[in-house]
Amino acid sequence: MLQSILASGLAVGAVYALIAITYNTMFATSRVMSFTAGQLGMLGGVLGSMFMLRLGLPLVLGLPATLLCCAVIGVVTEFVAVRPVLKSLDQHLYVLSTLAFALLIQQVTAIEWSTEPQPFPKLFGLGSGVLDEKYWLPVVTCAVVIGGLEFLYRRTLVGRAFLAVAEDNFAARALGLPERNLRVASYALAAVVGGLAGFSGGELLLAFFANGPQLNFYGFIPVALGGLGNNRGAVIGGLGLGLFQQAANFTVGGIFASVAVFALFIILLLVAPQGLFGTSTARRV
Amino acid sequence: MLLTRRSLALGAASTALLARPALAANEPLKIGWLAALTGASSAPGIGFNRGVVFAANSINAAGGVKGRQIEIVTRDTQGDPTKAVNATQEMISQLKVDAIWGPTNSGESLATTSIMARGKMPNLHPCVVDSLIDPKKYPNAFRIAPSNGQWDDAVRGYTLKVLKAKKVAVVGDTTGYGVTAAKASVEAFKKDGADVAYTANIDATQPDMTPDMLRARDAGAEAIVVWSVSTGMIARMLNTRATMGWDVPFVGHPSLAAGDIAGLITSPKNWEKVYAVGYKSCSFDAAGKLPERSAEFVKSLAGKVELSDTLLWWVAAGFDAVTMVAKAVESTGDTSSAAIIGYWNSLSPYPGKFGDYSFSATQHNGYPTSEVVMSAANSAKTGAFALAPGYS
Repeated sequence: MLQSILASGLAVGAVYALIAITYNTMFATSRVMSFTAGQLGMLGGVLGSMFMLRLGLPLVLGLPATLLCCAVIGVVTEFVAVRPVLKSLDQHLYVLSTLAFALLIQQVTAIEWSTEPQPFPKLFGLGSGVLDEKYWLPVVTCAVVIGGLEFLYRRTLVGRAFLAVAEDNFAARALGLPERNLRVASYALAAVVGGLAGFSGGELLLAFFANGPQLNFYGFIPVALGGLGNNRGAVIGGLGLGLFQQAANFTVGGIFASVAVFALFIILLLVAPQGLFGTSTARRV
Repeated sequence: MLLTRRSLALGAASTALLARPALAANEPLKIGWLAALTGASSAPGIGFNRGVVFAANSINAAGGVKGRQIEIVTRDTQGDPTKAVNATQEMISQLKVDAIWGPTNSGESLATTSIMARGKMPNLHPCVVDSLIDPKKYPNAFRIAPSNGQWDDAVRGYTLKVLKAKKVAVVGDTTGYGVTAAKASVEAFKKDGADVAYTANIDATQPDMTPDMLRARDAGAEAIVVWSVSTGMIARMLNTRATMGWDVPFVGHPSLAAGDIAGLITSPKNWEKVYAVGYKSCSFDAAGKLPERSAEFVKSLAGKVELSDTLLWWVAAGFDAVTMVAKAVESTGDTSSAAIIGYWNSLSPYPGKFGDYSFSATQHNGYPTSEVVMSAANSAKTGAFALAPGYS
């Protein structure tokens, strides 16, 4: 039983962590919590299944095609649902615009793809039982994404420009950084991470249009637990959430497992409102 | 001759009355069709629609109903109760249809049944929720498919009498249907003296079904009864059963036989020993033959209606709904609500393609329980299934 909890807990936890990173990446350059994050995860699975099973593309073509489509959706999100409301961030209009766009993505997927879960291909056919690739692929993907983002942010000029915009976009603009282009690029990057979440977790979650809202909810919890904008906190929060959720599934069952997850979430937020790894900031009043 | 206002009014009224039958004879017979043709749960709607269109075309090609053509007025409700309510009101107050077929899922029907009752609109539907049929509250509503209670009886009978399982696990999903159906099933099993060793409502999106399957096995379940329309959840349970090396039979909801499951299971073997609710009229016997009436119906559909991607019973029920409205008007020569409802109340039985329906003023559940059987879930062929082992 412990092996099953660890295998499935870490796998779904890694998917949640990747969705949390998607939220954080979009938030960093725009200060917008875009609720399209879960839908990008859903699209990773649906597009992966479409390219590889329906169109018969091999993995080396299917994966880039999926990520490219997700990146395009990310850019469109920035143009359609984020840019128009940036001037009135304090009114939180982005909640409405990004939720509406997320709903649009979901409905189009339901109509054009299927309302029933569809199979996702076996990517490598490696492992069996608790060592099946469906359990370790999301974990490996999460590790690779974290490593890649660390490299991008610390070793490349573009990455440092992202950080500069995230830190203070007025100062970054004053220094001549193309803030708007960087924001668009960050939405494309976030969408690729979201797509990877759905693609790597496709064997576990299947290619299902209704995965979006679920990933939106469970991907948001690590953001809140780990602290907004904190990717390391998001990974720890995501993996912890996955393990706790699966342990609750094994011990108290499906319906009560969800109750347990949200009860823990509320308690942790009462104890640490800024998130377990976030820092509270002073505000001049 | 002195023309008074009274004689003028009488003359006008009699002219209108005399003119009406002539006008009516040319008017089409309007049948409202509340169909979920797109969106979630659209697969049954598409299947029913094929039967509806086939029936209307066949009747119209043969000259119509006493010279009147049938006009199917379709509204796509997308499985959304709000859209179904709007379409129902439009059909009653603006389109003035003569009868309504549908909606075809219980969620929509729960929202529209009372509206149709207030409008005294003759209504046929195939929805399973038991409370949708109540001849006192809804004297206009008639069910031409089994109720959930009839499904439950068939599943329980097969589990206890044919599979001879002494301990059962009853599992539903967390939707309103899954919770109520599983609860009713547990109560009925207990009433029959069976030991319900494990019961659960599982979140259909839960990626790993191992916890519940382990608990069911540890509880000693000899059969797993499933009440869910989620093919993803069912396929995950079947894959988990195979991984556990457990050969416990699955019995339950027709979704156990849904075609989508074939693509979601890791091996075709995982779909063996799975028995879904089916119907005698749409089942192959041991020799691979359909009942005579169904075989003739399938023959008449050849080349006109595609059966490979749908279920025969959906097509047959859609066909029956249209022909039952047509027969009512043909027999009574009247399209009034009272005449159509009165005709349906007198049917005992009506030989449809899907089954022999019997109604009376106090019984509007028309489908015979004896027709509800269990099918081998993995045996689909042209929309019909092989009877599960144990039937002669």
